[in-house]
Amino acid sequence: MKRTPEDQRIVERMAPGALCAEGFLGVDGRSLGDILADDAREVESMGLTHEQIAATLEDILCAAQEALGNPVSVGEHLSAVCSDAMGPIPCPWGGCGLFAKGEVHLTDTAGGRTLCFTPLSVHLIRRHGFYQGRGGRYRLEPSELAHLLGLGVY
Amino acid sequence: MDAVITVLLAAAAASGLTTVLAALLLLAERVLVNYGTCTIDINRGDKQLEVTGGESLLATLMGEGIFVPSACGGRGTCAYCKLTVLDGGQTLTPTEEPLLTPEEIADDVRISCQVKVRSDIAVLIPEELFRVKQYRGRVERIRDLTHDIKELRIALVEPEEIQFTPGQYIQLMAPAYGSNPEPVYRAYSMSNPPSDNRAVETIIRLVPGGICTTWVFTTLAEGDEVFFTGPYGDFSLSDSDAEMIWIAGGSGMAPFWSIVRHMKEQGIRRKCTYFFGAVHRPDLFLLDEMRRLEEELDWFTFVPALSGQGESADDGCRTGLITEVVDRDLETGSQAEAYLCGSPGMIDAAVKVLRAKGITEDRTFYDKFA
Repeated sequence: MKRTPEDQRIVERMAPGALCAEGFLGVDGRSLGDILADDAREVESMGLTHEQIAATLEDILCAAQEALGNPVSVGEHLSAVCSDAMGPIPCPWGGCGLFAKGEVHLTDTAGGRTLCFTPLSVHLIRRHGFYQGRGGRYRLEPSELAHLLGLGVY
Repeated sequence: MDAVITVLLAAAAASGLTTVLAALLLLAERVLVNYGTCTIDINRGDKQLEVTGGESLLATLMGEGIFVPSACGGRGTCAYCKLTVLDGGQTLTPTEEPLLTPEEIADDVRISCQVKVRSDIAVLIPEELFRVKQYRGRVERIRDLTHDIKELRIALVEPEEIQFTPGQYIQLMAPAYGSNPEPVYRAYSMSNPPSDNRAVETIIRLVPGGICTTWVFTTLAEGDEVFFTGPYGDFSLSDSDAEMIWIAGGSGMAPFWSIVRHMKEQGIRRKCTYFFGAVHRPDLFLLDEMRRLEEELDWFTFVPALSGQGESADDGCRTGLITEVVDRDLETGSQAEAYLCGSPGMIDAAVKVLRAKGITEDRTFYDKFA
């Protein structure tokens, strides 16, 4: 599929060093379009929407932010802690406003699995259906995420 | 010529040859099109600059020594570089529109990195930006304050001195390094007092994935040459003599470390209680310095608070979230002014407590993104 100039600008903003040190695409060899399409199929196959996933993450984000750096229970066997940071980061799509830096570590206290996401992650999933590229710090595999959050059908 | 290029770009987009043709046209615009000399009228005739057209308004002004704040390197994403363009700014671009409120659009506010100087142009620039300069300095000291917070001291080389108001910030330039392809600027509050005018100090917390903080923590070394612009910002003490509440966490310490020493030097004796929040004891820093100031200054009280599980109230530390400690200590109906610096989450939570205590919006000053 051919990229429009705007698509090209988005991909450039996702490169390491453009908006953040590691970028948004990790070591994923797929095109942005393929990443979006693959993840959309996976989310749909679980009977979910990006909005449902984003809304759950947003609830966790808010609870973790209110705890000001302390761990907080966000569900059965789920603990979240927010590490705040100064400064804003824009969305690579542009024109979506600015998002607080910092990250939330979400831990399955029973199984020990952890996921890490940011305020921008919530927006990227909700607005763009983007779970970031594989190998990146903030890549969220939709099926793992849904499983951890207790959402969807597997 | 503008119209021709616009038509060709539109045609290219419509015809499916998009990427190649549009890229060629943009290249042609950059290489072949000569906009000649353009005049930038600043603040309705106060100043006029003769510049070569073709670059963005942000870059053109920077070339003339006028440093408008920008964090995204001119990519049109951070929305920091807003200026009012009265005339000659052409139409609003699709990149700008979502970054501006309807009121700003009605008031001719533009994202200056997205406005091309292609003809004479008239702009309004806040007076304080004319005092902003670009500085070259050398890293004199990098000191670990906690496991993820460093104090950076930069001795000035050119110019040799800086004038600023305590509470203001600089924009530090992280050069191209590693996979970071081009310089970026990030804002950091100055933590030294203005009397220490041959250097700037700042307190920097590592941001996971942050371009500039990663550079500071992994690459920058004492003796290195650095560049920054400043001073910027209007976070500073009011002129009143009202009692003050300061609330901070993490690197939000920086402006208050500057302000308290400035007050001491200037003999400003406004009663002040400084609440500083951390999770665990190792996250506290400058504790000894704050205790010394408390002993010296009868108007100053420092209240560190630890919120982590298992932390105890030793050494004068309180326990609980910083917001809980403020809630316990602050009387309802307080006439104090509140100054806050820290993460958006901390500030939002603290403002709720302050409102409940009767500290109104006009007596609340904060710096969310320092």
